[in-house]
Amino acid sequence: MAEITLRATAGRGIGSSESRRLRREGQIPAVVYGHGMEAVAVAVSGRELRAALSTDAGLNAVLSLQVEGSQYLALTREIQRHPVRGTVVHVDFQVVDPDEAVAAEVPVVLVGEALAVAHGDGVVDQQLFTLTVHATPSQIPTSVEVDVSELTIGGSIRVADVVLPRGVVTDLDPEAAVVHGAPPRVQARGEGEGGAEAGAAPAGSVEG
Amino acid sequence: MLMPRKVKHRKQQRGRLTGSAKGGTAITFGDYGIQALEPGWLTARQIEAARIAMTRHVRRGGKVWIRVFPDKPVTQKPAETRMGSGKGNPEHWVAVVRPGRVLFELAGVDVDLARAAMERAIQKLPFKARFVVRPGTHGTAEVEV
Repeated sequence: MAEITLRATAGRGIGSSESRRLRREGQIPAVVYGHGMEAVAVAVSGRELRAALSTDAGLNAVLSLQVEGSQYLALTREIQRHPVRGTVVHVDFQVVDPDEAVAAEVPVVLVGEALAVAHGDGVVDQQLFTLTVHATPSQIPTSVEVDVSELTIGGSIRVADVVLPRGVVTDLDPEAAVVHGAPPRVQARGEGEGGAEAGAAPAGSVEG
Repeated sequence: MLMPRKVKHRKQQRGRLTGSAKGGTAITFGDYGIQALEPGWLTARQIEAARIAMTRHVRRGGKVWIRVFPDKPVTQKPAETRMGSGKGNPEHWVAVVRPGRVLFELAGVDVDLARAAMERAIQKLPFKARFVVRPGTHGTAEVEV
């Protein structure tokens, strides 16, 4: 995996007003920590950050972070977003060792068409959108593909069924479902008078 | 309609609707969502009306998640009652919504159908809201700056 260089300036002001000032100037407040080093408050250019995290490697891109003459190999750990605008307001960079396994959230991509589910009017219900994997920074996959073409209604594909690249492991429960073939939604009679459709998820149970 | 099974206190104070949502601002379960852009109280009836509008438009397939729960009782005094004599009776239940909160999520349908269904649901809400998709899908950037 190619390293992406990102420049960061240290010595930024701390606090909400200083952070707001930085954001107005197109900078994003960030922090660099890890491997026993003292946490350093830095600022990165918003444009450069977007370019660095928009490559094929996605959010798990291995960054070569240049901070005032020092160079760190880092991964993006946490991206805080504005609740309404969705823009990035703060980023955590974790310094990593190239030979040491780290945990990373890898997006799960569904491939193929679940014909058995589609013909039965069912829904391919993705339960896991990211998979927590352990690998050395260079071996972290861009995404994990899950083939759903054999999925049937009532069936599911579990973590144990997911084929991970060499050197990549996950400590998730192997029995945890990644994707589930949900049965069709049934329209309850008298639904117009306030009855509920059986297929709509039980509201309270999924309250986030 | 949605309401708590049991509550510790029957009546609540109204509270303030300042600031933006502290949690529940990202799409977690589905592929599409409705995000509130203004603060407000969402009644159980409005939640139900929005859900019905959405599920009727989708017709077949699709799965809906309701990400808010009306757990706040709202009281009203009877009509033509003199002031005083204590707080009114609990009449209905509301969810307190602040800007950014994802109210509904939808999965299992294509983006055009989801947008059309959710636009109908948005019409049932008492504040401005918008259709959102999971970042990194449907041509949206993972990182917006």
